This record gives sequence, C-alpha cells and structure tokens, in this order.
Amino acid sequence: MSDVPETGLSDLRGAGLPESEFILDPELQESVILSTVQWVKDWGRRNALWPMAFGLACCAMEMMATAATKYDLDRFGAGVFRASPRQSDLMIVAGTLSHKMAPRLRRLWEQMPDPKYVIAMGACVIGGGPYSKFGYHVVQGVDLIVPVDVYLPGCPPRPEALIDGIRKLQLRIEKRSGESLQTILDKSKGVGAA
Amino acid sequence: MAETVDTPDTPPSDPQTERALEVVRSALPEAVVASELSGRHPWIQVRVEDLRAACRLLRDEPTLQMDCCHLISGVDWPEAAEIEVVYHLCSYSLKPPAAYGRRAEKNDPWIALKVRVPRDQAEVPTVMDIWTGADWHERETWDLVGVRFTGRRELRRVLLPDDWPGHPLRKDWEFPASYHGVPIIPPEGL
Repeated sequence: MSDVPETGLSDLRGAGLPESEFILDPELQESVILSTVQWVKDWGRRNALWPMAFGLACCAMEMMATAATKYDLDRFGAGVFRASPRQSDLMIVAGTLSHKMAPRLRRLWEQMPDPKYVIAMGACVIGGGPYSKFGYHVVQGVDLIVPVDVYLPGCPPRPEALIDGIRKLQLRIEKRSGESLQTILDKSKGVGAA
Repeated sequence: MAETVDTPDTPPSDPQTERALEVVRSALPEAVVASELSGRHPWIQVRVEDLRAACRLLRDEPTLQMDCCHLISGVDWPEAAEIEVVYHLCSYSLKPPAAYGRRAEKNDPWIALKVRVPRDQAEVPTVMDIWTGADWHERETWDLVGVRFTGRRELRRVLLPDDWPGHPLRKDWEFPASYHGVPIIPPEGL
C-alpha cells in the first residue's frame, strides 16, 4: 500500500473507521472517502445552518447587519435566512422576549424540524437583561421556554459576536459527531501508511 | 452683577397657554382646580365632570385649535389615593408640535389637561369621540394603570395579554409567581 501516491483525496480515506476494518482495493482508495454517516450528516448540518428570520427587538438589527454585506454570514454557511420555521434549523432569538410572545416562540420552535438549534442572543434573552428586575412583561431567560445551545451576551452583541456564536454552535455540532475533521484526517494518514 | 439669567428649564408662560386657561375659565367657571402655566409643559387641572366640555372647548376654540390628542398618560398617587390622567394636547392646524424636551417657544400650541379620580374607582369619561386617535391611548392607560374609560366602545388591553393579572404600573401591583407556567422572580428575589 505504500506505493499509493499522496493526494488530497487519500488523506480522507478510512475516516472514522478502525484500522482493521479498512480493506479496500488500491484503485478505490483514490476515489472513495470512507466515514460514518453521522459524521457526514453533521458536516452538512453545521456548514449549512438555515436560521429563521425571527427578530424580536434591537438585537435583530445586529442580526440583520451580520447577514448583510459587510459581515456576510454566508461565509459560514449560515446566511440563508428562511421566512418559515419549517425550512429552518437554527432559531436566533434576537431581542426582548415578552410573556405575550413566549407561547408564540415556543410554537415556532416546535414547528421547526429536528435537528434544531437555538442561539440566545443578547442580555434580554439570556436572563431578562435590563428588564430582569422590574420589567413585569419580560421572560427572565429564553431557556425557560426552549432549550438553548449557545448563549451570546451583549446589549446588543456585535455582528462579530454573533458570528462567533454561530462558529461555537458549529463546533458543538461537530463535537456531537464524536470527532473533529482534524482527528479524522490524522487517523486516515495513519491508515494510509499501514 | 444684577443681570437676570434666563433659565431654559422654566420659560415664562406664553400668551397661548394663558389663552387656553382663560377659555376654559370663562366657559366653565367651576372647572379649573389648579394650573401651572410656566415651565416646559404647561398644564390645567379640571374636574372630571367638566373634562369633556373642556376638551371640546380647547379643540373648537379658533385661536387654539387643539386638534391632536398627542398622548394620554396615567399617574398613580398612592399617598393621595388618586389616579391622575393627563391629556397632552397640541395643534397641527396652528403650528406643528415641538418635540418633547425642546424649549417651549412663544405660541407653542402645547397644553396638558389633567384630571384626578379616586384610586379605587378610577373612571373617566372617554374623549374618543372628540379625538378618534385617543382610542389606543385610552386602551393603554386602561392596560397599564387601570383607568376605566366610560362611554366608549369595548375597552380592552392593547399591550399586555388579555388574561394578564392586574395593571402593572399601579404602585401596589404584585408580581405573579408565574405566568402560563413561566416562573417570574419578583424584584425582591433578585
């Protein structure tokens, strides 16, 4: 096997599989990438997050700025804002959540197909923010309504912070599949040498 | 230095607000309870039973033409056991209204009309038929301060959910322990 030329593709051979199970025709090794289905699915998920166009207050302005030309969320594959919960897998809760809105938010979240992720953007969403103490109408944290994956502090957070939050979420999805891309690449190198 | 300093916070009362007071006083001699004509925002307090008549006067008087009910606000005074309702009136016909916080100028057609009602029986006649735009202002004042406006169409909440407990801007309003299963930590608990 040592006479197999080092190409980019061969780096990915046998990704995520134990060494002993990696038995392939040398010709196939050049054109086939082996991995677990879960890893490939998560790879697709984390690089094509479709957020829901759902803004509640001023944080939504920063969310729009993040999606617009200057910060260009599309660079991270998360710029396709959908107008329907049924087409989206990421809910960025951007802005003050009032008690009147809470049941609607829960309903929208329930309408999203699995797997779905939630980013709590801004102080109000994390714990009520400036309304936490005397604001009778504000829910003291969106995690009382829906499970949250990433908490993003700030009032409001800058677009860079939102990008960071989305990167954190992508890393989280990546970790969920067990192995990072780098680990898989490292492993497959060892397999190729065997 | 015997120079007089003109403080921007308390401009002298201008002829227009004095005119407003004069109009109300001459037509309804018993109505005016108190008034403050100097300052940023001059006001006249009238009796509740004369409120609608005073509103009509200010709107129909050719030299005032208060054709816009800009805002209705409610103030809770627990010590006096009274609720105050303030009608902020201005005139678009005579001059576009100045923004809040700007120093009042001569002939600035701004006036506030106040009424006070007992706290446990806060009922004020509607002005919706005088200024149609007062509709949502009255609904908001009912929603947050709990002033019941009588003689108008259905009075329901405008901001808070329909089943919200009480009127939260009253000073003695208690935070509920939860709303629809969502727990609320009261201010003392934080």
